[in-house]
This record gives sequence, structure tokens and C-alpha cells, in this order.
Amino acid sequence: MLLSKTVRSSSTLKLAFIYVIAFCAAIFGLLGFVYWSTVTYLYEMSDRALSAEGALLTRAYEAGGRDGLVALINRRLTDPYFDDWVYLLVDQSFDYVAGNVTNWPALLPGREGLSTLASKDWQSEAAKRPPLRVSYQLLPDGHHMLLGRDLKDLDRFGENVTIGLASAAILFLILAAAAGISTSRRSVARIEAINATSREIMRSGLGERIPLRGTGDEWDGLAENLNSMLDRIEELVETNRQVSDNVAHDLRTPLTRMRGRLERACNQQLDLSHYRSLVNDTISDLDEILTTFSSLLRISQIEARDRTAAFRNTDLSEIVREVVELFEPTAEEKAIRLQLSAGEAVSVVGDRDLLFDAISNLVDNAIKHGGDRREVRIAVARCADGPVLSISDRGPGIPIEERNHVLRRFYRLERSRNRPGNGLGLSLVAAVANLHNARIVMTDNSPGLRIELRFPIPQRAVPSTFDQQEQPSAIGVHRS
Amino acid sequence: MPGYARHVLVIEDDAETADQLVDCLKSSGYDVDLAVDGEDGLRRALTADYVVMTVDRMLPHIDGIEIIRRLREEGIVTPALILSALGEVDDRVRGLRAGGDDYLVKPFAFREMLARVDALARRSRTMVKETMLRIGDLEIDLLARIARRRGREIELLPREFRLLAYLARNAGQVVSRTMLLQHVWDLHFDPTTNVIDVYVGRVRRKIDSGQDYPLIHTIRGIGFCLRAPE
Repeated sequence: MLLSKTVRSSSTLKLAFIYVIAFCAAIFGLLGFVYWSTVTYLYEMSDRALSAEGALLTRAYEAGGRDGLVALINRRLTDPYFDDWVYLLVDQSFDYVAGNVTNWPALLPGREGLSTLASKDWQSEAAKRPPLRVSYQLLPDGHHMLLGRDLKDLDRFGENVTIGLASAAILFLILAAAAGISTSRRSVARIEAINATSREIMRSGLGERIPLRGTGDEWDGLAENLNSMLDRIEELVETNRQVSDNVAHDLRTPLTRMRGRLERACNQQLDLSHYRSLVNDTISDLDEILTTFSSLLRISQIEARDRTAAFRNTDLSEIVREVVELFEPTAEEKAIRLQLSAGEAVSVVGDRDLLFDAISNLVDNAIKHGGDRREVRIAVARCADGPVLSISDRGPGIPIEERNHVLRRFYRLERSRNRPGNGLGLSLVAAVANLHNARIVMTDNSPGLRIELRFPIPQRAVPSTFDQQEQPSAIGVHRS
Repeated sequence: MPGYARHVLVIEDDAETADQLVDCLKSSGYDVDLAVDGEDGLRRALTADYVVMTVDRMLPHIDGIEIIRRLREEGIVTPALILSALGEVDDRVRGLRAGGDDYLVKPFAFREMLARVDALARRSRTMVKETMLRIGDLEIDLLARIARRRGREIELLPREFRLLAYLARNAGQVVSRTMLLQHVWDLHFDPTTNVIDVYVGRVRRKIDSGQDYPLIHTIRGIGFCLRAPE
């Protein structure tokens, strides 16, 4: 079968056919006009020759009378050039005088001039002739003169033109149809390749990719885009899988602990204080799990939701000052100096709660992992390509190859595995940064880590909450 | 204080949670009415005078937010604590916008819930705006923003003063870390580090060191309480 079912139902093919039909209509119109004007021109030429010959014969009659005319006719009859001409001169009672036919055609109209005679217009069977184009003249002395020319050649020529044009049209039709079908088959083949890959992915997994032809055409472009989309999806699925593995691990460990503890309490006779401490331990383990759980939920919510509707113009410097103030006692306790340089207001469009939470996490990390060099620098600056918050510590830093991983959920550097924390802090920072279209840039502070949040230049005009942020005062008892 | 001022309405459809809530509130001296669905809850809230109500966010028939909205339309301003298992980020905003006064995400510690109910109960009781608070030998002038202990002024940063004032307004009651973050920093998320503890620790040093008795107490697992010895 020339066309598979998919090709036959393809919209490209339908479109191709519509084009072929439109082109054919145009081409047939054009060829029809060529045919019509050619044939008309030929007949006109033929009629003109007839009229010229008629005029010549009339002049011979005027000059030499009836005998002069008969002599010219007889001369013409022997001239091979006038082979396909018909001459007939009859007298008043239509009796033959001269010419190469003997009978006067019965149906000849009584008027002088040009007309066409078909075969059946001749009186006798014997004198049947091919169609003629004739010129009829009534001479002054009552003689009738018929001058004709065979249409056979003209008709054959017309036929040839018709055949030529028709063949061209048919050839064109075939070529156009072939081009349409081949284009459709090509498109359908590429689409079919994409479909096959999709089916394969649905059946067996995300490993399949759409084959490229290397032509660099729009189909390859589409395939490339779909492939990179698949790469991204695969990556996300992989991250999700890792996250669930980690969740399972991070939750199972304390759950196992709790289960064991409860089992022991159930099976053994313990005194009241033992029971109490056991219950207290279990509650703090549960709290730990719940904290991890709500951090995870919070990150997914931030990632999943378009919360930008609640975004306001907020002062990054103000938030950073508040965070630093909140962490000052903690830093003091660890004998770390928080050096803040955030002078003028730096406006970013965002959510104060989320920014505060994210920046708290960064400062907390810097204090926790800042090493012995006792200094964490926090700076807010308005750079050419937008506001930048930077936090630099003097700790061991993060190895280059791990910098991408630390933003993942539950990822923890080897050396900090045994420290408190759930490996979600930087994931939250990443989610918040993402929501704010901010980039996280980690560089070497040699020694230490310098982590930057680079915000886009604020563009949207949004209502400011500078005023609402300030709690009324210590006197205003509660918000109502 | 008059008896009716301790009357609390609990609207909660999960039987075990409801039991626990009622137990917990009763054991700290509240009279508790329980409504197990939205319609019942709405009817009770409309007819009786409660000091506080706790409203489950997801209820059969009428959901928690709808109950609060209708009550507010009827002009009933009983403080409402919304208890929700839904994610906090946006739902908190919706709950508070509908007229809820506080919001707690499930699962929660019952002492945290109790601290919130206490705070709301106090709020509906004392609408008097005091400008001078006295707890033991601590004196807080809310207008001048000055704290004195035994007559000696204590130097506090503005935020530290706000923290102390909040503790003082809730003197004798437990205040959770999340409540502090909400009312002192105006932030709506649960702190995951001990940063609040350390911050309160510094305020405590300023207030309590070298004094006859401590005023700021840490309540393990929950938060803090400012109280003078009996």
C-alpha cells in the first residue's frame, strides 16, 4: 500500500492535497487560456487567408469575367500549394461550372461570408468531405462561388495543443501529488518517531530519547527540545527518588529508635522515672521527625506554588539587619563576630517571611560551619545587575564538586554528617531563591565559603509594605 | 474572674483529637463545650458566649474558615484559634483574613495550643490598655520604653524591649517560640534552630543576673514564661 493509515489520516497530507488542488486549478486555467488563444489565433489566420483568396478571385472575375475566373480556379487546382483548398463555381441554377467539388452544399446559408460546413452538410454521400471553413460569394452575374479550406490540419494542430497541455497538466498533477505525499510521509515519519518514543517512555521508562537525523532542521530542533525536556524530567524524577530515599532513611532511623524504646517499655518493668524519661525522649524524637516533615512540606509548597502574587517591595537591608540582630547572641555565644555592611535601603520584590527564613538559614550555616576564624561577613549591595546579598565565612568551605549538590534536599557534606541539622536548610534557600528569580552563587573565600544571593533588578511596581512591617508599637496590645 | 470567662468552645470532628483537646483545656481550668461538626459549632458559637474557640480547619458540612466568616458577619468577635492540618504558607493567611485570630498547624504540642488559647482568652478579657506593667520587682513603662528592676534601669535594644514587653503582657502564661517570632519579629514560620532560645537567653541575662530571683523561665519543649515567685 502506497500510504499507511497514519499518512492517510495525516493533516500534512490533507494540507498538501489542498495545495495541489489549488495549484492545479490555477494551472488548468492558465493552460486553458493558452489553448483558447492559440486556437483562436490559428482560425483567425485561416479566415484571413480565405478572405484574401476570395478577394483575389473576385479581382480575376472583375478583370477577366467568368472565363478569367474559371481559368484562375483551374490554375489553383493544379497548384500543389492549394491542395487542401476547395473551389466551386456554379451558375444561377446551381449547376457546376468549375471547381474540385461538384455539388453545392444544401445547407449553405443564403448569406455571403464565412461559415463552417460539417460533413453532413453535403448533398451526396459520395461527396462527403471533412469539415470545411468556407467563404461564399454571390457574383454580380448570378454565379455562386464557394471557397473553402480543409479544417483537418487546424483541428489536428488544436488537438496537438490540447494533448500537450493536458499532458503537462497531468504531469504537474502527478509531480505535485508526489511532492505532497512525500512531504507528508516525511513529516509523518518524524512525528511517528516522536510518537514511538513517547509510547516507549510510557511503557518502559524515561531512558528513551527521540533519534536525531543531524539535518539541523526544525524537526531536529523539536526533537532536541523534547529530549532536553525529557532530560530535565528524568533529573527531577531522580532527585525526587533520592529525596524519598532520604526521607525514608531520615524518618526510619528515629522511628526505629522509638519503636524499640516503646517495645522495651512494654516488655520490661521500669520505674516511673524511667517511663517518664522514655516518653520524653520519644516526644523529642517525634518533634524532630515533625520538624523535618514540615520543612519538607514547606519547601515543596514554596517550589510548587506561585506565590509571587503576595510579593511586595521589601527592603533587603532591613531584613538582613533583623536577621543579624536575631543571630547576634548565638554568634556571641560561639565567639564569632558578625560583620554587617548594609547601609542604604536595597529594594527587592519578594516575600519578607520567606526571605527572612532563607537568610536566617544562610547566617545559621555560616555560624555553624564558619570554623575558628571567628568572623562572618554579611553584606548587601546594589550592583549593576541587581541587589546582591553575600555571606562569607572563614570555615572549610564547600569543595567545588559538591557545590551543586548541597542545594539538594537532605544532602550533607561528609564531615557534617554527625552534626545536628537535617540537610534541608540550603534546599529551602534554593527554593526561596528560585521563587524570587535570584541566583545562588558559591565561591571560594580562600579560606571559607562565600555564598551570594543575586536578585534581579526590581521591575514591577508593587505596593510597599515598609509601613505595615513595623509592629505598631509596644503599646498596641494585639493586632485586631 | 467570672466563671463564664473560662468557657471555651472546641469545634473538632476527629473524636480522639477532640477528647485530647477537651481534656487538656479542662485540666487547665476551662469549661469546654464540644461541637463535632460545623453546623453544631456554628449554632453553639452563635448562641452562647465563649471566651475563646478552637476551630478545626476541615470539618464536615461547613468548614472552619466558613464558620469564622459567618460569625464575624453576625458581629460575634469571639477569638478563634484555627487548628489546621493544611500547609501553613497560604492557608494561614486565608484563615487570618477570614477573621481567625491565631493559627496552629497540626500536629502541635498541646502545651503550645494551651499557650495560644490562654493568650486569646486574656486578650478578650483585658482590653484595657495599660502603659505600666509590674511583675515582681520588674517595672515596664510601655510609653517611655523603659524597663527597671528594683528601680534600676535595664539597657535593652528595641527588639529586646519588645520581647520583654510581650512576655510581660502574657506574664504567668507560657509563650511559645513561634508566638515570639510572630509577635516580636512579625514572622510567620516555625524556627528550626535554637536561635530564639539564645536570644531570650541574652535578655534573661540582662533582666535576671544579679537579682534576688529569676523572672524569665524556660519551659522545656514549649517556650518561656515571665513570672514572679508566688
